[in-house]
Amino acid sequence: MGVRSSRSRIVAAVATAAALTLTACTAGGSGSGGGGGAATDDDGGSAQGGTLTVSTSFVVNSLDPGQVYEATGALAVHAMYDTLVTFEGSDVSTPVPLLAESWEVNDDATEFTFTLTEDAVFSDGEPVTAEDVVFSINRLHNLQGSPAVTVEGLAASSPEEGVVVVTSEVPNPNVPTILAMPAAGVLNSEQASAEGATDAEDAASADAATDFLNTTSLGSGPYVLDSFDPASEIVLTANPEYWGEAPGYERIVVSNVEAETQKLTMARAEGDQVALDLSGRLLEDLPETLQVSASQDTFYFLTLHQDPAISEITSNPDFVQALRASIDYQGLAALFGEDALPAAGMVPTAFPGALPEDEAQQRDLDAAADFLADSGIEDPTVELMYPAITYRGVDLATIATKIQFDAGEAGIEVVLDPQPIASFLEAQTAGEVPFRFSPQSLNYPVASSLVNNFAPGQASALRSGWTEERASEEMVAAGEAVQAAGDAESQVEAMREWQELLNEQSPFITLAYNSGVVVATETVGGAEYSPAGWQVDLRAVAPQ
Amino acid sequence: MTTTLTAQPQRSRWRVQGYALAAYLLRRLVITAVLLLGVTLVTFILVQLVPGDSMTATLSEAALADPEIVAAYRQRWGLDEPLYVQYFVYLGNLLGGDLGVSQQTGRSVLQDLLTYVPATMEIALPAMALSLVIGVAVGLYAAVRHGRAGDQVVRAGTLLGLSTPPFWLSLLVLYVFFFVLGVSPSGGRLSTYWVPPDQVTGLVSVDALLAGEPAMAWDAVQHAVLPVLVLTVLTVATLVRFVRSAMLEVLDQDYIRAARAKGLPRRTVLASHVLRAGLVPVITVSGLAFAALLSGTVLVEQIFSWPGVGQYAYRAASALDMPAILGVSLFVAVVYTVVNLVVDLLYGLIDPRIRVA
Repeated sequence: MGVRSSRSRIVAAVATAAALTLTACTAGGSGSGGGGGAATDDDGGSAQGGTLTVSTSFVVNSLDPGQVYEATGALAVHAMYDTLVTFEGSDVSTPVPLLAESWEVNDDATEFTFTLTEDAVFSDGEPVTAEDVVFSINRLHNLQGSPAVTVEGLAASSPEEGVVVVTSEVPNPNVPTILAMPAAGVLNSEQASAEGATDAEDAASADAATDFLNTTSLGSGPYVLDSFDPASEIVLTANPEYWGEAPGYERIVVSNVEAETQKLTMARAEGDQVALDLSGRLLEDLPETLQVSASQDTFYFLTLHQDPAISEITSNPDFVQALRASIDYQGLAALFGEDALPAAGMVPTAFPGALPEDEAQQRDLDAAADFLADSGIEDPTVELMYPAITYRGVDLATIATKIQFDAGEAGIEVVLDPQPIASFLEAQTAGEVPFRFSPQSLNYPVASSLVNNFAPGQASALRSGWTEERASEEMVAAGEAVQAAGDAESQVEAMREWQELLNEQSPFITLAYNSGVVVATETVGGAEYSPAGWQVDLRAVAPQ
Repeated sequence: MTTTLTAQPQRSRWRVQGYALAAYLLRRLVITAVLLLGVTLVTFILVQLVPGDSMTATLSEAALADPEIVAAYRQRWGLDEPLYVQYFVYLGNLLGGDLGVSQQTGRSVLQDLLTYVPATMEIALPAMALSLVIGVAVGLYAAVRHGRAGDQVVRAGTLLGLSTPPFWLSLLVLYVFFFVLGVSPSGGRLSTYWVPPDQVTGLVSVDALLAGEPAMAWDAVQHAVLPVLVLTVLTVATLVRFVRSAMLEVLDQDYIRAARAKGLPRRTVLASHVLRAGLVPVITVSGLAFAALLSGTVLVEQIFSWPGVGQYAYRAASALDMPAILGVSLFVAVVYTVVNLVVDLLYGLIDPRIRVA
């Protein structure tokens, strides 16, 4: 009797625990089925169109426009802060008016005069003035945060109310594009100053408004900041004072969700939901009802150090060409998924200045053998360092292994050296890595920004020992021609010539272009991927 | 008079025991302080030894190439000071209750921990409670059925539980309960259509009830179920194995055999002798399991988008966010210290042979 009683207690305990678990699990069935988003106004939620859920795996340090740098921060800041100009959809070639209803540029592209609309008001109802614009641009520069590089050499002033003049130290036809970036969002200067913001030259140490701007937005955009938890979510609500067309949603929740979970969530999604990290293989087998918008805005490339003191092998120009000829670009691009393409040059196809697809690089093992023979290096072995991460749905180790295999067929032994991302970045910054592989996006959607980085003697080039002295005069001149171009069209042409030379002479081997992707449920309208930096324009997204 | 004579030694004994307990606690407090100091020093040195720093993990490549931006960043975060100065500044602030500002979130680390610890508690507490109930019950059952079919099944299940990677199990339950069966939310603490309640306890389900929103509380409970389930499976496997082993050891003692030989009912033997004696080592492992749950179940929180200490620690480590890493390390050390202290005190309550005095 005693034994039976004891057993029954144990069984009961287990059964109770299991029952509790199962009961709670089953109860979830009445919910929205993951991540919310579905309209369930019966139990207190919003009606459809009330809440949009945007899932993305994010790291966001700040929602202060002067400090914002990461993609998710740009996504949110773009919705909260108006800029002088902006872009529509995936087209980043033509800026369109926002706070500025029109603008003019002088002949040498050093002075841009913006005429502001009179309609714009901040979320507190106060009008947006030229003073606010000048304050915001100068603060962005003087804060010396990550996005300050985009406005390097620019200065803003206001000769009269309603007019803002932005000057550039060097000819730069891309100033409107730069000022469309979320970091150039216009703050209510009076309120910001009251919270410790300053646009003075010592703003890097004197400005104290970032903490406030992480809790309260001071913009004139269609959404205002409701709450910001750097680990889990950013919540935006519709700005009732918005001066333009009313935004599509009452509330937008940007949730921090791993890519694998995003895939599961979208596969069963109901209501208005968007996922931003389903690239590459993660796009496979999704329900056909989902909308997918993609744009190739990232390139993957190899870098070979040009300083013989770092590596006699990688600094040998013939070895670089041998390696370039050994890569199976088509096969490599296929590893990224359906949306990837073999690279033709450094500029991805999302941006003006990309080389035509039919100029995509080709594998030529015979040429590789010739180049290797010319290099005078026998049985070369090089170590390939890369960040051991999954980027946009693709494990970089897979790509590195393919490079290793391709090079091996040309007689080049590649030893893989995966590194944690922090270690990789540290080594990259130190500029002493003989051979590395990484993805790259543009700082802002202007192809010529790559010249500022990768031309001989520029920051990224120097990290691979590619000084002006080690480059040909022709290569240096091609970069200068891009920077001297006075209008967008001639700059695009100069960019193409620069890339063709890059393919022949540079220590950079561009491999493939991969896409940024927006996946949305069928009820969401306007969910188009933008290579402008904000991924999807939350201002334009609305129920359909 | 007689009463006085008998009462006096009793009070003295309590007083002696009280003094002993106080001395014991004081000793533990001093040891804890030294331990925590050691944790800060070791963590600080280890983070310095890791290649890379927060600046390379935070700034863009273009920004890293700009000396002005680099200088501004280093000054903002005190990285331009020598390492020993950075450490002593940190210690000085720590004594004032200031854990520093997270380079990753821009908020005080203390504020971050106060936000994320309750989130972890919300899944750790029910997981621990379930694990204890199931672990003790199943472990005792297996010990009693030693060598028989029931025991074999439990041992196989335990092995399976112990060898299951948390990441994989999380994805599996998500796939089954959310994707296939559609009976559970996919992640997060609350459906996005809810505006979270004001933080009172930090436990969303409780705060929702306090805010008069039972439907929201129920939604929060539903979101907690899968992470709790995974944590329970992972924790219970350890407990069952340990309970079984501890109970087997007790069952093999002479006094148990004597009790049985005396004809005591099996139920009485199990409840009064076996369970009580076997619980002492179980408390240790339970304490450690609970500390592990509280100090961060990184992968589970990642998969379920659960903004707890684990996720915070993961992101702090990824960004080499020194103040946050130090803060989490300190928190973990405090959790383990407190849990160990509680375990030691519980020993005395359960087993009179192990009294402080």
